[in-house]
Amino acid sequence: MIEIIGVSKSYNSGTVKAVDNVNLTIRNGEIFGFLGPNGAGKTTLIKMITGILNADEGTIKINGKDIRKNPIEAKMQFGFVPDDPNIFARLTGLEYLNFMADVYMVPPETRLDLMQTLLKRFEMAAAAGDLIQSYSHGMKQKIVVIGALLHNPPVWILDEPMTGLDPRSSFDLKEMMREHADTGKTVFFSTHVLDVAEKVCDRVAIINKGKVILGGSMQEIHEHLRENQSLENLFLELTENE
Amino acid sequence: MNRFITLLKTLLINNLGISAIQAKARKNKLEYLKVLGLGVAIAAGVAPSLWLYSKILIQGYDLLAPLGQQGAILILGIVMVSSMIFFFGIFYVINFFYFAGDAQNLLALPLSGWQVLGARFSVVIAYEYLTELPFILPPLLVFGIKSGASLTYWLYALIGFLLIPLLPLSLATIPTVIVMRFANLGRRKDLFKILGGLMVIALAIGYQFLFQKSGINAMDPAFLQNLLTDQYGLVNLISRVFPSTKYLGLALISANKVAGLINLLIFAALSLLAVALAWLVGDKLYFKGLVGSSETTARRKMLTSSDYERFGKGSPALLSYCMKEIRLLFRVPPYFMNCVLTNLLVPVILIIPFLLQSHNKQEALPWEDLISQPVGQTILMVVIVGAVIFLAGSNAITATSLSREGKEFFISKYIPLSYKQQVQAKLLSGYLLGIIGAVLLLIGAIILMPLKIALIGMILAVSLVAIVPIIEAGLLIDIFRPKLDWDNEQKAVKQNLNVVFSILFSILLGGAVLYIVIRFIHSPILAATFMLSCFTVAAVVFYYLLMTRGIEQYRKLEG
Repeated sequence: MIEIIGVSKSYNSGTVKAVDNVNLTIRNGEIFGFLGPNGAGKTTLIKMITGILNADEGTIKINGKDIRKNPIEAKMQFGFVPDDPNIFARLTGLEYLNFMADVYMVPPETRLDLMQTLLKRFEMAAAAGDLIQSYSHGMKQKIVVIGALLHNPPVWILDEPMTGLDPRSSFDLKEMMREHADTGKTVFFSTHVLDVAEKVCDRVAIINKGKVILGGSMQEIHEHLRENQSLENLFLELTENE
Repeated sequence: MNRFITLLKTLLINNLGISAIQAKARKNKLEYLKVLGLGVAIAAGVAPSLWLYSKILIQGYDLLAPLGQQGAILILGIVMVSSMIFFFGIFYVINFFYFAGDAQNLLALPLSGWQVLGARFSVVIAYEYLTELPFILPPLLVFGIKSGASLTYWLYALIGFLLIPLLPLSLATIPTVIVMRFANLGRRKDLFKILGGLMVIALAIGYQFLFQKSGINAMDPAFLQNLLTDQYGLVNLISRVFPSTKYLGLALISANKVAGLINLLIFAALSLLAVALAWLVGDKLYFKGLVGSSETTARRKMLTSSDYERFGKGSPALLSYCMKEIRLLFRVPPYFMNCVLTNLLVPVILIIPFLLQSHNKQEALPWEDLISQPVGQTILMVVIVGAVIFLAGSNAITATSLSREGKEFFISKYIPLSYKQQVQAKLLSGYLLGIIGAVLLLIGAIILMPLKIALIGMILAVSLVAIVPIIEAGLLIDIFRPKLDWDNEQKAVKQNLNVVFSILFSILLGGAVLYIVIRFIHSPILAATFMLSCFTVAAVVFYYLLMTRGIEQYRKLEG
């Protein structure tokens, strides 16, 4: 579960409000989609949830652990996939995964099995011994996803995770997200692709100019839609009229 | 030509960070003041050294004037600057011509080899003017003022100042471009780039010593007499290191005569010829060395179970983080060249000339007499510890350790490893490489001098403690002003003022402690005890600062 209570963040000594008093609760057992145009504040909020940015105001708790007060315990609760998978280009895939496993203290008994299973599932087993530098964008995305899942985190936080993935891996990831949520755990992800949100999410929130302008279950969202109106049209309407 | 000018302008603005400063200043006018303040702080930091340098030059002038050889101070400055530009030039050329992130992007533009190489060359020249200023200005001023020089002298001095970097940088460019053309082959391009860089540096060292050794026998009475009686004896001797510099020296010394003008013209012709040659070689080979240099090939081979098991045992997070730091230091070519290599190379460079000269066994080395005395042993200890401290301050490992993360810094913020442990891991990586540098230096000293075991032990003990506050301070500096916003790796280590601050700190702390030893302590045991105490206290203080103020600041930093 992720609790976001009254969170705000501004840049340039308060002149630009990137996230403005956001309140959200992402419950256990659900896939929560976070939608918004470029520069709406999605990544800023995700960075605050994960401890990369400090919130100016408000509280963020992951499974009850406050990211400010108990950062290490809170960080152990989630696996994070950033929007830019260009990381540690000069490490091999395997070195990267082991670094992540060490940092998240994955016990030796489980790490090898899990690593091999995930590498196989994402068709990365043959590339794991090579430098990440030699990977395509999609392969980098996959190795980052595998690294985030190694410690079997109860909460998944994924920033634009489908970008660059081939259809097969994208399908697999969506399936894994569903499986994860169905075991009573939490998935929080941001996306530009409304189609994905519509098909995968249990609940969504739309953010624009730092404020959550619409949130609810897919069913509630559909009630907002006028006849024959697509989520895409609603999204455009909401974000352009602001 | 127009394209060349446009490219040059863009590269200059981008690399000197002019637009970035302007952009920040638009938001906050204080930004200009910050830049100015930084300049003043650096100037204040180097002022004492400049003052000392000028004082030595003035004394040198007064000492040499009765012999009519006062021109030697000019030539000394010019030779020193030329050698410096040549050595640093190699690093600049490798970094800026080949490792810069935008190097590849320019390949797609309709530009020819000489235009891109020429523009990059000119940007490096701009940097070299800044680098040479503090070294060449004092001798030019001292000679000009003391000799009551004419306007022609000052005009020649200005022209000379502008011309000086051209030849040594061309000499650094030509072999680098040739070696890189052939290093850009095969699968392990990163490795070849590093090896190529090493080869150019080896060539450069070889070249320097070839000239240094050519026919000089300082003990030959005829040579000494000639040196002192011939008006240009010293000029001739010093300029052997960089023969072309003699012409500029002579041009300045005899600025009022026709000979002066002729010498200046010869120097200018040689410099421009060298540039033309470098650009010509660049036109033919530069792109060939660059095309595909960022390609990486992969084996895409299924891993065996033993490959997995090699890692499967896992390590403590702190150690794993430290290993990641070290792996990247060795694998990213600009980090290897600027952080690891300086650490390993400087001891070697310091030792080679002595090794080359000590082949004559009958000739006692100048320090053999000295180190049999306790005072001599103390001085020796101070010299070696001083070198170790300076090396630790200048290898930039901890002083750029956050900066090197750049845009990846966010990873350090979201992983569940406490900031304290991250700081400790960074210190550990810096310390491990620092130890290697210190031990190499000490091995060099042992090869050169018959040191007693006890003295070696004391120097080692002091060195191992002395580097601790230096690397701690380096990290502290980097935590407070990390340079995270860069677009290619060489900017994190090469164009990072934190390295300058770290060097200044090492000079200040090392200088203060060593000065007290030299001035007041004459027994090696006392000196070692005193230094150990001082550096231990400094290490504890800086560790405390890192763990309190440093961690607090680390927490505030955002990825």
